[in-house]
Amino acid sequence: MNLLEAFDVSVTFKAFGYEVQAVKNVDFVLPQGKVVGIVGESGSGKSTFARVLSGLQEPTGGYVTYLGAPIQDGKEIYKGELRKAVQMVFQDPYSSLNPRMRIINAVAEAVRVHQNPNKAEAQQIALDLLKRMGISEIDAFKYPSSLSGGQRQRASVARALSVQPKILIADEPTSAIDQSAQSQLLELFSELIMDGLSIVLVSHDLGVIRYLTDNVYVMQNGEFVETGSSSKIFENPSNAYTQKLIASIPSSGKK
Amino acid sequence: MSNALVQIDSLCIDVKVTRTRRLTIVNSATFDVQPGQLLGLIGESGSGKTMLCRSLVGTLHRRGAYINSGSLTFNGIDLVNASPKEWRDIRGKEIGYIPQSALAGPNPVMTIGAQMAEAIQLGEKMDKGVVRKRAIELLEIVQIRRPEIVLKQYPYELSGGMKQRVMIACAIAREPKLIVADEPTTGLDVTVQAEIMQLLKQIRKNLNTSIILVSHDLPLINEVCDDIVIMHAGSTVEKIPSAKIQDTRHPYTEALYRSRIDLVEPRGKLVTINGQPPTVGDWPTGCRFAGRCDYAKPGCSADVEIPSIKIGPNHLTSCIRQAEIWGK
Amino acid sequence: MSNNKAFAADASRKERIKEWVSRPGGFGIITGSLMFAAITLVGFIYPLVGPYAADEFVGESLEGPSLSHPMGLDQLGRDVMTRVFSAVPADIGIAFLGVTIPLTIGTVVGILLGISKNKYVVSTVSSLIDGINAFPLLIIAIAMVTFLGPGLFNVVIILTLMSWARYARIARTKAVVVLQQNYIEAAKLMGYSKRRVISKHVAPNVSSESLAYALSDFILVIIIVSGLSFLGFAARPPMPEWGSMIADGRTFLGQAWWLTVFPGLAICWSAISLSFIVEGLSRRDRGNS
Repeated sequence: MNLLEAFDVSVTFKAFGYEVQAVKNVDFVLPQGKVVGIVGESGSGKSTFARVLSGLQEPTGGYVTYLGAPIQDGKEIYKGELRKAVQMVFQDPYSSLNPRMRIINAVAEAVRVHQNPNKAEAQQIALDLLKRMGISEIDAFKYPSSLSGGQRQRASVARALSVQPKILIADEPTSAIDQSAQSQLLELFSELIMDGLSIVLVSHDLGVIRYLTDNVYVMQNGEFVETGSSSKIFENPSNAYTQKLIASIPSSGKK
Repeated sequence: MSNALVQIDSLCIDVKVTRTRRLTIVNSATFDVQPGQLLGLIGESGSGKTMLCRSLVGTLHRRGAYINSGSLTFNGIDLVNASPKEWRDIRGKEIGYIPQSALAGPNPVMTIGAQMAEAIQLGEKMDKGVVRKRAIELLEIVQIRRPEIVLKQYPYELSGGMKQRVMIACAIAREPKLIVADEPTTGLDVTVQAEIMQLLKQIRKNLNTSIILVSHDLPLINEVCDDIVIMHAGSTVEKIPSAKIQDTRHPYTEALYRSRIDLVEPRGKLVTINGQPPTVGDWPTGCRFAGRCDYAKPGCSADVEIPSIKIGPNHLTSCIRQAEIWGK
Repeated sequence: MSNNKAFAADASRKERIKEWVSRPGGFGIITGSLMFAAITLVGFIYPLVGPYAADEFVGESLEGPSLSHPMGLDQLGRDVMTRVFSAVPADIGIAFLGVTIPLTIGTVVGILLGISKNKYVVSTVSSLIDGINAFPLLIIAIAMVTFLGPGLFNVVIILTLMSWARYARIARTKAVVVLQQNYIEAAKLMGYSKRRVISKHVAPNVSSESLAYALSDFILVIIIVSGLSFLGFAARPPMPEWGSMIADGRTFLGQAWWLTVFPGLAICWSAISLSFIVEGLSRRDRGNS
């Protein structure tokens, strides 16, 4: 069963008389329980497309469906309860959290609004969620400026998970954090996948894509130039651009 | 080792935080660079690698930092006590610098030609024709097509990769003996990264320049560099030939190597390094990795001086327990 | 990241306070706050408990400072010290209103402007704001006084009319930046109502900048209020107010220095104490970057 599907999606930006087509007539599928990667270089349009999937960007052409039904209803995207189903984690850990809110409150707020208005209970739920993400109780009461980049990313994931989404869209989640924080975040994602979360992973880091994804879409200049299972793409890429990408990965032993 | 181009011994760099507070950023760095060597310098944030680069380029004072103790010699010249005038003769002419692509880069209000002219002349007056010819020559070395046109362009008209090539061209303008490249490809696309690494290797070969390549990306350093220096919490913990990386004799290097994502099966068990890197200046006694080390014993955190143990001709480690863990 | 001990679970309250103080700027903030609190409290309490009233004739005119009248008597035989402290509600109080009212109005307008998608509204109001900001405050204030007539409350009105635009500019700029941050998008993804996003996420981050500016503005406004009164445009006799006291004492400068010096010191004290706080806060920001 397909959770998310995109049909002929295009996004065109207009500014000062110029028109730029960031995403060009793209089709996409996220099957349930799978991790789908979108890999491409900067400017390829992958972040724009990710924002279309999450509902932050309205496509200028085409449409997206969730469980078969279009996500856009008039001017609203993901109306009402549907909004909780698809959540997003961003690249920059420094602007992802409200600097004036303690981490625990940022997560508890979502619980209070959607689940349980009782302050103490919501806080406990938030604490448990943060602990699962590897953030201790002491750290949970801190402000974002006191946490490292990796911790902030995990806090953002906790916030996204607080509304119990079915899909998590991760836009370059590991690009701005340290090596060791990257491994911790990826391990976290693996666990969430085993718990049933479906993920769309956008990244330019082929190592991360190879590690986490089942299927991959390769994006260049707003179009998907190749798509297939992750193992096929990495072992036997058929498109010239994909081949160039794979060949550029540094690997041990090759000098 | 006596004909090393750069010799760093027990270097200690402090930073002036407030009028009274000092913070130690680099506690004890020791390694050397040979002529024509491509040396990788790897470490996480807080390891002190950036400050170390600044000490090699003489820009420590711009961050309120200064060398507290230890020695830093380049080509026989003592850089710890070098005067500003001595630095002007060295910076750019003997030691070149390539900044991190995302942060610095060409001056946005100057044309590429103007900046290259600056880098080529470095304050000396030269004939305009000679300068222009040299600029075109340099742009060709860094594989920029149509250099005559690029000279007239402004940085915003160039891609990230091209801008970085221009920075490399500026760095090699006077054919320095040493180039310090501080994360030159961070933030650039992987295809561009591969091309720039090829370029650096070529420059090393053709000009016999030593290159110190700083990065946090172990697979990249492993593939490109001859030897690797690993830094953690302000000190150099190991120096090892990259071909021998699997025979590491330091738990941190081992952890970094084993946590590489490209060596793991998809969704396989990832090896992670426990905990967080220690906060700068707030370092524990003894070995600073002990808190995150799988092999740590109580003796590792005792207030002992961390040694520099020689394992092989080009291999140094500072793990006190290395003989017990990996055998003689 | 600062001293770890303060964040440990078992850090005592004392340790946490000590850490807060030792960070850059702590000394300035505390000194300034204490100084400012001192004059404000004395200003409100002393007139209630002091032996004299501000407009009471208690002795010979132009008597110098003595034990019973530490700041001397003015030309009408009134106790200067009582008058100096009684002026606090006028000077500091009016200045306070002259900052907080424009601050509130300006910040609200600025945030609304930052949110607005209507190009025409935004450009019209922005032009209005820029227009108002173009005029020098003190001069326009004097001009407007000739319209509205003198009086402290008129001064508050004038300040409000002129100053809200400065706060609106600051708030709008910050609001635009804040609205582009990922955490605002995340709030939308969480399905929060627009009202919640604005009040709990946008406003706190915008107002931190406005508040910082307001503190500096406070110093300026105190001086403006005193300045206007000195020129005769604000406080009217017999109301005690530092500026008008200085103006009245001008003619007696040679014989009775205490008539001008003490009110002048009061102005300085207020301005300096606030400056300490502002400097301390800015040192703290710099130190933390």
